Amino acid sequence: MIIDQNKIDETIKIIKANGGHGIQKCVQCGACSAVCPGVKAGFPLLCRALIKDLLNGLLEENIENSSSWGCQACNRCTEVCPQGVRPQEVVFAFRRYQANELAFSTSSVTSQMNLYETGHAVFTDPKEARRKVGLPEETPTSAFNEAAQQEIRTLMDNSPMGELGLF
Amino acid sequence: MAKVGVYVCHCGSNIAGVIDVSAVRDFAELLPDVVIARKDLFMCSDSGQEMVKQDVRDGLVDRVVVAACTPRTHEPIFRAAIEKAGLNKYLFEMANIRDQASWVHGNDHDGATEKAKLVVASAVGKARHLQPLHDKFVDVTNAALVIGAGIGGISAALELANMGHKTYLVEKEPSIGGIMAQLDKTFPTNDCSACILTPMMVQAFNHPNIETLAYSEVADVDGYIGNFNVKVRQKQTYIDWKKCTGCGDCADKCPSKTPDLFNGGLSDRRAAYIMFPQAVPKKAVVDIEHCINCAGRTIGTQPKINEKTGKAILAPCERACRAGAIDRSLPLDPGGTIKEIEVGSIVVATGYQVMDKGWFKEMAPASPNVITALQLERLISATGPTGGKLLRPSDNEKPHTLTFVSCVGSRDVNFHTHCSRFCCMYMIKQARLLKEKYPYLVINMHFIDVRSAGKAYDEYYTGAREMGINFFRGKVGGLEMLPGDQLRVLAYDIEAGQSIEYSSDLVILATAVELPPDAIALAQKLGLQFCGNDFFRELHPKLGPVETAVAGLFIAGCCQGPKDIPDTVSQAKGAAAAAAVPLAQGRVKIEATISEVDSQKCSGCGICEPLCPYHAISMRDYTDRARGVIERHAIIEMSSCKGCGVCTSACPSAAIKLHGYEDEQIYAQIAALTA
Repeated sequence: MIIDQNKIDETIKIIKANGGHGIQKCVQCGACSAVCPGVKAGFPLLCRALIKDLLNGLLEENIENSSSWGCQACNRCTEVCPQGVRPQEVVFAFRRYQANELAFSTSSVTSQMNLYETGHAVFTDPKEARRKVGLPEETPTSAFNEAAQQEIRTLMDNSPMGELGLF
Repeated sequence: MAKVGVYVCHCGSNIAGVIDVSAVRDFAELLPDVVIARKDLFMCSDSGQEMVKQDVRDGLVDRVVVAACTPRTHEPIFRAAIEKAGLNKYLFEMANIRDQASWVHGNDHDGATEKAKLVVASAVGKARHLQPLHDKFVDVTNAALVIGAGIGGISAALELANMGHKTYLVEKEPSIGGIMAQLDKTFPTNDCSACILTPMMVQAFNHPNIETLAYSEVADVDGYIGNFNVKVRQKQTYIDWKKCTGCGDCADKCPSKTPDLFNGGLSDRRAAYIMFPQAVPKKAVVDIEHCINCAGRTIGTQPKINEKTGKAILAPCERACRAGAIDRSLPLDPGGTIKEIEVGSIVVATGYQVMDKGWFKEMAPASPNVITALQLERLISATGPTGGKLLRPSDNEKPHTLTFVSCVGSRDVNFHTHCSRFCCMYMIKQARLLKEKYPYLVINMHFIDVRSAGKAYDEYYTGAREMGINFFRGKVGGLEMLPGDQLRVLAYDIEAGQSIEYSSDLVILATAVELPPDAIALAQKLGLQFCGNDFFRELHPKLGPVETAVAGLFIAGCCQGPKDIPDTVSQAKGAAAAAAVPLAQGRVKIEATISEVDSQKCSGCGICEPLCPYHAISMRDYTDRARGVIERHAIIEMSSCKGCGVCTSACPSAAIKLHGYEDEQIYAQIAALTA
């Protein structure tokens, strides 16, 4: 690996601009990765490892890496981080960078389409299961509320996500 | 008319890297009363000082302004220089163009230069009005006080006592010894802690120059360097220590139980107790909060009489004491007694505490098998709750898998940002001792990184690797309670980039070192300051590590910052040497820059008296014979005055003069700054 200070500076600038403000506080203790369900599931470039790569200036090199999309947003990393890095926000900042470069994981495209259409990133038809346990078939959420769906679509169309041209 | 000499310092690039020193010199030369303006690379160097001295000797200047760094470190140097050349040392003024210009305006060279000119002009303005002043001296009480009798306090007291100074050693617990008395063995030599500490405890206690005041606390401190008046509250022991033989019979018979804090709460002790087997002094006390007043024997009441035998019904502790040291009929004051002592200097060595595991919700604090490292010390100590056998607290079974977690609350913005410094080493020590004694143990140690800086420390650490102890780089993220009193450890191996998950029988947390809460009250009594990360502040982080902002008050050991035993002993001996200086000199200098009341102007209103933070002002009545009236005036005790100027600014009659900061001097500074 070559240490290229310009690349490091540029990477940190981009991550911070995308919300990962605490990245330079990281001392690489690894507490985040110790509790990360994504790391446990085998995503190689999450939390500590992702932060280390970014601190080394490896931004473009990792653009196609899909580990970041394995983050479940549980935020346990932020709870245990002793330095106030807020690792999840760094992961999300990296995701935003990837999204802006249209480097999505295919899994994330589906969930964004779901979000646009139903207001749920993860959506499976609940009617059958709800009927079995004696609940009304339709959930009282945006999934069965056309007005709410329209509001969500309006929001997304007018957000940076809308500019990506996915919908 | 004053002849002011101005000397501008480059301070290498510290000042000259930002400020145009030549421009400042040129500017200074044109100021009123300035006869000479010079510059030098380092004014504090021999050649720089010689330049000033020569001008004074030649009669060219009679007021000196040095435009350089902070008077805090350098004023004494230049004052001494001009005094040597024959000028009164108070005819000197410092312009701090480093801290106030070049350092704070590093990005604005022109602006910094302009500001430096103003700072110099202000100093010159004041210097024109400076008057010669003279230091005064007061006698010193040849005695010292050491607060806290852990290994630091004991070491400091022994040094002072061996130098021939009467030394009071105050300890809040019933025994001296501190936290070192709780330790099993010590790194990196595995010396038995009690074996090396107990002889020192005995030596201190029996030293003819040391008066040990155990079970005592500092209640109040008054006075100043050389003459401190200290009130020590000797807590009520409820047992006559003159008679107590330390046999322990009272503790054997006392039925009331409470967690034994000496054993980290892992076992119980009685309300009547001796702190630990090697306690010095070996005396019992009654912890009255947990005393249940057996047989209705509240303190200060007469016993009931047995109707059949006609004998008094005594409490078990009274009955057990063969020395007759316990008499609950006596009206003993729960507040104890106040002992007043006079000392010339004070060493504070009040030590530390480790954080409780309860702070760390992610570390399963509810599990009895999650313990702090200090609790493990007691668990492996021969005098501990299990007699030195490693048994896990939940069921007294032998554990097989042990986990050590470092940096719990240390290096953590949520708790303490500091490194607690000796945890890495004591964890390695504990792991080594356990692996030696129980080779079948699986010991997993999780570190952010191993900090083993110290003589023979790194060898101790690498040796532990060879013993088959497992080291993982990566902070433990959390613990989860499992059935069977086990803990699931959620960890991560940074080197492998893999998460680690396993079941552990016993988890040891190296919790952060911090000041105990009662240190705050003590700091207020003594005038000690705190550092950003909560320890007592030393005078200078490098060059004044044992001194404090209060003259005559010194600090040593973990109250100044986390440190291991050798560092604590070194610092304690250093503090003792520093504390002995005023005692050896026999008198201390009182700076001339203090306040004085002009009794002609004083109206006796008394506004100044309560404002003085050093209790230096008192109101006195005087008989004016000429007019035949009694008048009140404020009087300032010069040895207590610190020259803060609060009284001067508050006096409605402008009757109080602060020498070295007189009205015309300050007005001259303001005029120069606003010109």
